[in-house]
Amino acid sequence: MYIPRQTAAQTRRSFLRENPSVLWFMGLLGLFTLGVTILSEAFGIGVISTNLVKILGMTLCLCLIAIAMDVVWGYCGILSLGHFAFFGLGGYAIGMWLMYARTEIVIRDSLGRGTIPPTETEVSEAVAAQIFGVVGSSELPLIWSFAGSLPFQLAMVVLVPGLLALVFGWLAFRSRVTGVYLSILTQAMTLALSLYLFQNDTGLRGNNGLSGLQNIPGFLDVPQSIISVWFFWASSLALGAGYLLFAWLVSGKFGSVIRAIRDNEARVRFLGYNVEGYKLFVFTVTAIISGIAGALYYPQAGIINPAEIAPIASIYLAVWVAIGGRGRLYGAVIGAALVSLLSSWLTGGGAPNIDLGFFRIVWTDWWLVLLGLGFVLVTLFFPKGIGGLFDYLVRKS
Amino acid sequence: MSTLLEVSGVSVTFDGFRAINNLSIAIGEPELRAVIGPNGAGKTTFMDIVTGKTKPDEGKVLWGEKSTDLLKLSESDIAKIGIGRKFQKPTVFEEQSVRDNLAMALKNKRGPLSVLIWKAGAQDRARIEELAEEIGLTERLDHRAGDLSHGQKQWLEIGMLLAQDPRLLLVDEPAAGMTPAEREHTTDLLKRAAKTRAVMVIEHDMEFIRRLECRVTVLHEGSVLAEGSLDHVTKNQQVIDVYLGR
Repeated sequence: MYIPRQTAAQTRRSFLRENPSVLWFMGLLGLFTLGVTILSEAFGIGVISTNLVKILGMTLCLCLIAIAMDVVWGYCGILSLGHFAFFGLGGYAIGMWLMYARTEIVIRDSLGRGTIPPTETEVSEAVAAQIFGVVGSSELPLIWSFAGSLPFQLAMVVLVPGLLALVFGWLAFRSRVTGVYLSILTQAMTLALSLYLFQNDTGLRGNNGLSGLQNIPGFLDVPQSIISVWFFWASSLALGAGYLLFAWLVSGKFGSVIRAIRDNEARVRFLGYNVEGYKLFVFTVTAIISGIAGALYYPQAGIINPAEIAPIASIYLAVWVAIGGRGRLYGAVIGAALVSLLSSWLTGGGAPNIDLGFFRIVWTDWWLVLLGLGFVLVTLFFPKGIGGLFDYLVRKS
Repeated sequence: MSTLLEVSGVSVTFDGFRAINNLSIAIGEPELRAVIGPNGAGKTTFMDIVTGKTKPDEGKVLWGEKSTDLLKLSESDIAKIGIGRKFQKPTVFEEQSVRDNLAMALKNKRGPLSVLIWKAGAQDRARIEELAEEIGLTERLDHRAGDLSHGQKQWLEIGMLLAQDPRLLLVDEPAAGMTPAEREHTTDLLKRAAKTRAVMVIEHDMEFIRRLECRVTVLHEGSVLAEGSLDHVTKNQQVIDVYLGR
């Protein structure tokens, strides 16, 4: 088979000309964003409800974590079953600011009605009591010290998942943990994190999680119909930027090396490459992007709790990528969008149940069976996933 | 000719089986050396030790003018210091083009960040063309490495070794599964490479070794049984008993 494109060492051509799929993707994403905006309630003719705009925006965030998963698994061969932990941490980091700042505004408002203006201590105590009353505490935990600062919490969106991935990855890769053992370790990581967060004294409100995240401090008067479109735009922008970043990352010699690591890591070592360093780099970068995706997702979802980072979430992520097609970024996008939208349609009561007379198909019950069946069929008959179908199209033309 | 690699008194045991037993061997630069021995003589384990894949229980492995202790280095550091290895089974990256395989092996910076911003310069491209010419794969540069014939994969791997520009080449059974014509080409390649560097070839095939016209080391049960010209070692009674006589 002749390989016309994507060779790092070939003559210098522009990145986009070598990767026409990137241009296609950007174009389609732009059209989609424009279309949704025109059809939205806030800026257009109102065919798409605010709720649907939120679902679509959240789907774009899921697509972003899916391409991160594709880079770490499909390109570098690390089957991480813990990337949703990073997604959740990003959500928690931004959620802390959203919740703190909004509560502070509300508290100042009500305390300000008295004759004597409240002191800073009074405000912060009242905020703490308001946020943590639900877990029977009225003290602000240490990790909330800077929750009122947006720049600080935004930095946390990147730093917390990045550092966790760096430390975890360093320990795991240095010990040459690979394959299924590494997958189990990453599952253990996300499970441990989720169990830890379930505790009330962790300082993140236990199983209640953080809520009311759809209300953006400073824009509390702006209706949700408008905010939802803002977040949709932000998600679209993040997905586009993430796609460009990853497409560039995997296109050149770096992509060549990580695919080589996937196929035969011992051989890459004998070529003089520090395999562990590369894995750590890819693991950490994808974790950071996952954190950013989470930080955009949860303000649209409105609530985050520890159940979000249960091990099953990360397994779903791997299933999306496998169905969409590993080792091609648009495949991951297709898989994530298709499966997550189908899932919310079928389990959200959108799909009519089918009465066969002798049997009634209730989609909320049968969705998982359908997903499992789809996964098996794709693995058996389309090992390259749905994205692999594009190969036939390209070859024909 | 100065000594490049010196292995002395090395032993390694796997689950009670002594794969290498007090082995001492040295190679100079430039030199072509063949290593022969029956199955289980420890030939591959010897390469594993030199390239850092296996750590021996005792002994020393010293490298170069500064007598660097190779046992303290990782596989990738040993590769960077100038030791290239060709495996018994051809291991090229089948999903990638011949060109990309060679580009990865080229002697350039190996860190993630420098690789990320790397672009093939005129010099790199010229070197790749040159290597392709040398291994006879010019026509197939932009083809999938997985589509090459068995012999071509072996050459590609040798080409990748040459691209690394190592001072010592360890070559494990390069002629396995090759046609006579391919063998001849391979012999030429190795002899040419050995003009400027140290090349150590592990091989079973006596005819192949005869054509290499070089010093031969015979391994048996993890240590050196005999060393010298091929004619010299094949006359050695012990060698005949354990290896040739069978």
